Amino acid sequence: MNDADTDLSGKRLLVVEDEAFVALMLEAILEGFGCDVVGVAGTLSRGLEYAADEALAIDGAVLDINLGGEKVFPVAERLLARGVPFIFCTGYGVDGVPRDFAGVPTIAKPYLEETLKSVLTAEIAKAA
Amino acid sequence: MMRPLQRPIQAAAGFAPIVAILAAVALVVMGVSLALFNESQIQQQKLKEAAVQADILAGSVTAALSFDAPTQAQQYVDALRVNPEVEAAGVYDSAGKLVAGYGQQRGVLPPPTNRPGPPVLQANRVIVSRPVAEGGQVFGSVYLRIVEEPAGRRVARYSGIGLLIVMAALVLIVLGFGNASLSDAHRKLQVEMDEREQAEEALRLSREQEAAARFELAERRGREALQQSEQQLAFALEAGRLGSWQIDLQSGRLQASDIFRRTCGGAHPDQPLDTLESLEACILPEDRETLRRAIARAAEDGADLEAEFRTTGRDGALHWMLLRGRAADDGEGRAVRMAGVSLDITERKAGEERQRLMLAELNHRVKNTLATVQSIAIQLGRMAPDIATFRTAFLERIVALARVHDLLSSVSWRGAQLTDILQQTLAPHVAAEGQGERIRLEGPPVQLGPNAAVTLTMAFHELATNAAKYGALTAADGQVQVTWAADDPGAPRVIDIEWREIGGPAVTPPERRGFGTRFIERGVAREFDGTVYLSFEPTGLVCRMRIPLSLKLRMAA
Repeated sequence: MNDADTDLSGKRLLVVEDEAFVALMLEAILEGFGCDVVGVAGTLSRGLEYAADEALAIDGAVLDINLGGEKVFPVAERLLARGVPFIFCTGYGVDGVPRDFAGVPTIAKPYLEETLKSVLTAEIAKAA
Repeated sequence: MMRPLQRPIQAAAGFAPIVAILAAVALVVMGVSLALFNESQIQQQKLKEAAVQADILAGSVTAALSFDAPTQAQQYVDALRVNPEVEAAGVYDSAGKLVAGYGQQRGVLPPPTNRPGPPVLQANRVIVSRPVAEGGQVFGSVYLRIVEEPAGRRVARYSGIGLLIVMAALVLIVLGFGNASLSDAHRKLQVEMDEREQAEEALRLSREQEAAARFELAERRGREALQQSEQQLAFALEAGRLGSWQIDLQSGRLQASDIFRRTCGGAHPDQPLDTLESLEACILPEDRETLRRAIARAAEDGADLEAEFRTTGRDGALHWMLLRGRAADDGEGRAVRMAGVSLDITERKAGEERQRLMLAELNHRVKNTLATVQSIAIQLGRMAPDIATFRTAFLERIVALARVHDLLSSVSWRGAQLTDILQQTLAPHVAAEGQGERIRLEGPPVQLGPNAAVTLTMAFHELATNAAKYGALTAADGQVQVTWAADDPGAPRVIDIEWREIGGPAVTPPERRGFGTRFIERGVAREFDGTVYLSFEPTGLVCRMRIPLSLKLRMAA
């Protein structure tokens, strides 16, 4: 916890984001944090595939809530079951988060890299 | 009314002429009798008067006779001459011989001799002869011949009386007839009065009937006006699709119109809707309290009732209802009744929901767009060798992004056709007259959702910019052919899009992947969960995309 950069470096992260630009940016940012982006899913089904893949080690996830008309929550449930920490990022604001995930940190698009880093770091640290 | 009093008069008037004639006859008879009686009385009177006159004369001449003084006797006799009725007078001695006398006219002298005797009536004359005596000794006699009233005068006198009587009788008769005609007139008048009275009665009756008729007419008009206004109200309610209702707050009894029943009456046609309870049964359980509270509040402070809740209608569907109404009190401030209208606001609610979603969607889209811009800036910033390169590259993408937003705005963000975004992206790089030749777009209609449209537009923008800078569009005859097709037109699951450049300069693969290639190969492929290959073939660049059909990208109908 003494250095945020070292906290996230080497972490294996999953990104579920349906918008190509945002996903690419997120990937670039996370790589900039020293993370290993193990998967970027643009659809719910691809996201579920990654989350259900027990062979794929995941330390944390950044989930966009709306995926082309579908909600990301099944992925969130799967991750919750696996004990994988995750945060939501959304253009809809906090209102779009159901009660089951009320405690999940949610950041609104667009966001600062620093915001993403601190929220993600805290969530992963909490789960550890 | 007046008739009973006038009947006897009318009856008496009928006998008047007869009575008048009888009265006249009686009058004449009485007049004649009276005249005769009068005549005899006058005769007796005359006789008495004559006797008295004779006695006076006899007394006067007693001395003259006893002393045998004819001159003196003559003086007494002459004194009678002033009376013209005494036609002749004479004084006679005890022997019966005329001593003194006179006659008013020649030839009518008293008789030469005379003997006392009873008075004699003779030819309108009274002849009286009285003895002259004193102390039982008779000295002679006196003679008076008195002329009665002349017959002409008597007749004239009686005629006058008779005339009066006759006139009186005539007057009576005339009066009788007059009375008769008067009573006739009276009778006629009476008849007229009766008729008039009947007419008045009829008029009164007819006025009463008229008044009744007017009243009935007014009532009918009022009823018709009421009916009409009720019809207009019903029409207005029907046209406005407004239901109407009324609740008795004491009994909870509910009266509801057909429209109200259609929308709030529950799915069963014979389901009762006559109490507040039966209405509540048709309302969604979570909305019941809303109505109860609204009713209670309106009943308490007289405020307008307004409540929105969901009900099951006769069609079995859920209806959003707006109830408006007001409480009516019993005059002492206690609300006893509540009435109002109901309006099916399902469509409005759906519209509101649509609007809410659209606003949320717009908000989402703006934030996503900003995130996109952020993404472009961050990635370009990492790759650009200097600020000037960054600025040009960044602004190009912002413009491309703005263009696809324009396209989507023009169709209210419902999405776009694949062919349209291709046309729009390529057109700026090719002169207008050569577009038909140099740009070939072929494929079935494909509908893109807003996000897919933005992503593909930006991908084609990268390809088009590259073609215009280094590829086929740098050559005068260079072409860009974009063809696409579904894997199985009958049951499509995937669409294959091929971008192929022809007629450009010879192509060599780039040494490193730039922003564009990274976005196309990785970004697009991930977003659609498909595959994208860029192939730098010597004849020109080829880009193949295999995209599964989804909510964001589908074959248009």
